[in-house]
Amino acid sequence: MQCLVMLRFRTLAVLFTMALVAVGCDSPKAEFHLDRVFLHKTFGEPESREEADSLRNQVQNLKEVMVGLFGNPDEPHVPQLTDLDTTTVLDVGLIEMAAGRVASDEAGRGRGLYREHCAHCHGVSGDGAGPTAAFLNPYPRDFRMGKFKFKSTPLGVKPTHDDLRKTIIDGIPDTAMPSFRLLDDDEVDSLVHYVRYLAIRGEVERRLVMEVMTELDTGDLILDPEDRSNALVEENLELVKGAVATVVGQWANAASQVTEIPSPPDQWDSHDSVQRGRDLFFGSVANCVKCHGQLALGDGETGDFDDWIKEIDEKDPASKAPDFLALGVVEPRLLDPRPIRPRNLRTGVFRGGRRPVDLYLRIKNGIEGTPMPAAPASGLSEDDIWSIVAYVRSLPQEPISRPEVQVEYTRERL
Amino acid sequence: MRQVFSFVFTLVAVCLIAGPAYSQGWGNLKGRFVYDGKAPAPQPITPTKDQEVCGKTKLVDESLLVGTNGGLQNVVVFISVGPGDKAPAVHPDLKKAASEPVVFDNAQCRFSPHIALVQTGQTVNLTNSDAVAHNTKVDAFNQPINPLLPPGAKLAQKFTAEERLPAKASCSIHPWMTGWLVIKSHPYMAVTDENGEFEIKNIPAGTWTFQFWHEKAGYLDSVTINSKATTWKRGRVDLDIKDKASLNLGDVKVAASAFEG
Repeated sequence: MQCLVMLRFRTLAVLFTMALVAVGCDSPKAEFHLDRVFLHKTFGEPESREEADSLRNQVQNLKEVMVGLFGNPDEPHVPQLTDLDTTTVLDVGLIEMAAGRVASDEAGRGRGLYREHCAHCHGVSGDGAGPTAAFLNPYPRDFRMGKFKFKSTPLGVKPTHDDLRKTIIDGIPDTAMPSFRLLDDDEVDSLVHYVRYLAIRGEVERRLVMEVMTELDTGDLILDPEDRSNALVEENLELVKGAVATVVGQWANAASQVTEIPSPPDQWDSHDSVQRGRDLFFGSVANCVKCHGQLALGDGETGDFDDWIKEIDEKDPASKAPDFLALGVVEPRLLDPRPIRPRNLRTGVFRGGRRPVDLYLRIKNGIEGTPMPAAPASGLSEDDIWSIVAYVRSLPQEPISRPEVQVEYTRERL
Repeated sequence: MRQVFSFVFTLVAVCLIAGPAYSQGWGNLKGRFVYDGKAPAPQPITPTKDQEVCGKTKLVDESLLVGTNGGLQNVVVFISVGPGDKAPAVHPDLKKAASEPVVFDNAQCRFSPHIALVQTGQTVNLTNSDAVAHNTKVDAFNQPINPLLPPGAKLAQKFTAEERLPAKASCSIHPWMTGWLVIKSHPYMAVTDENGEFEIKNIPAGTWTFQFWHEKAGYLDSVTINSKATTWKRGRVDLDIKDKASLNLGDVKVAASAFEG
């Protein structure tokens, strides 16, 4: 028992030393900022000066704990809490390759890969609010919720290492996300680890904000550096460890939960199968028509939002966004909280990839963070899903998807 | 070293005092929530699609429902188990209840019930009694789901991890639909009925932290009991449950201002 307590104190001491070292230096280093939209939404407007002060202390403390756990963009840490193996998910060496300023080491290997290739859109904190983000449609992904759209795992399960590799290597068609095929293999791995590091950092932060809100009394700090004699410290340390362990655990378990894709039946893309897919598309079981529209132009349900915009407000983000802007939070989603558009299926461009297996996964599992639901467990067979894939793949080939170019718009040479 | 000893001592002492592990017997908790003020009539909802199904019954915004006698409906009450706290023992009668599935139905384009109480590991049957398709998007912190439910569908779902706050359920096809799943690792939770009343039975005797939450007001932190203004920090209050006794909170008034904004 005594030994255990000693061990925990050591963990605590390490955590605090890390926090102090990181916070103590008063240099203009890059730092991660907290998600102020989530903070404000969770805690609301303070009603009195005392409440505002105590909230400010709690938030400052949270920030220090986060630095203690994850370091800062120039010197990232992987949270080292006892009885937790983080190495498969967060490789320190690979994370360091992507972190910090753009440079190269003695052997000529790149350093600061994230800031070289990603940060201008995705932001130093991975908030999807880099300098160019406001000009892009769709907005760059904000990693902090830990939600990723294009993956081989079901809703609620994290993407695998290979899923993130695929997105980086292939890019995302019809968005500003380019292909990074020219990077070396280990450089892509390094970026995958770093993106995961930013996502885990963001998710742990969200959990700790929730814990402060739901478990702590008003004004109580998560880890108070001046109060070590209290059982509360022990309890709160468990709380921090729990948050890290849950999030890291979810990422570590992703690979074992990959959706098994059955091979398509013979003749899955025959004329009959396409016809069957068409019936299913308009039928009440799959009901694709509801959102993707009668013409499959993505003109069905158009008033909904994705989870990143819904964070501002579920129903009417446009009217709530100015509240956050007034606090000085500048994020593209606040400047223009755009509704999400169901995919126009006639262009032949599919963001998660156009291979039949890509479309199968989107239909089978739905798309994380969006209104696109997972296929019903009963009432829609695997063969049915392949027929829908066949129909969706046939749509861009239909004559109305390729209207003839009107002659009067062509430019004539003089 | 001395410090460590004193710490261990404190820890053991705290464990002994706080731990209701040795308690015997079971008690109940009940009470009635009252909306203090003139209750607004629920706003009617006009379905924007599938009128032939969704327009059959009168739909209203259920985020604030007050009974004719001022009873505040849909207040969620539960025992809060923090990290390091011992989970409450489960009464034998309640063990069987956990093996029964909870039904969370899509009926006439609303969630029925509006708030479902679910234990971790318990089966929730997500069903659709309507002739149109719904999807049930549950924004749980630990286990978000979004299955499509065709007419007549029944999907058995389980949640493995407790949720601190009730998880919101919505349907992307019918954006007005809102419901909640309260997901806890124990059975000690309740929702107030149309009279504002709730009762939790067979709670192990001892002191437990109860939390009170309403979807529009959030945690109920300012309430009036027996005309005495009381603050429940973040909706929490420690209550002493005694063997073979029913603790009655009486009328708990919540000011109308708590529901604004």
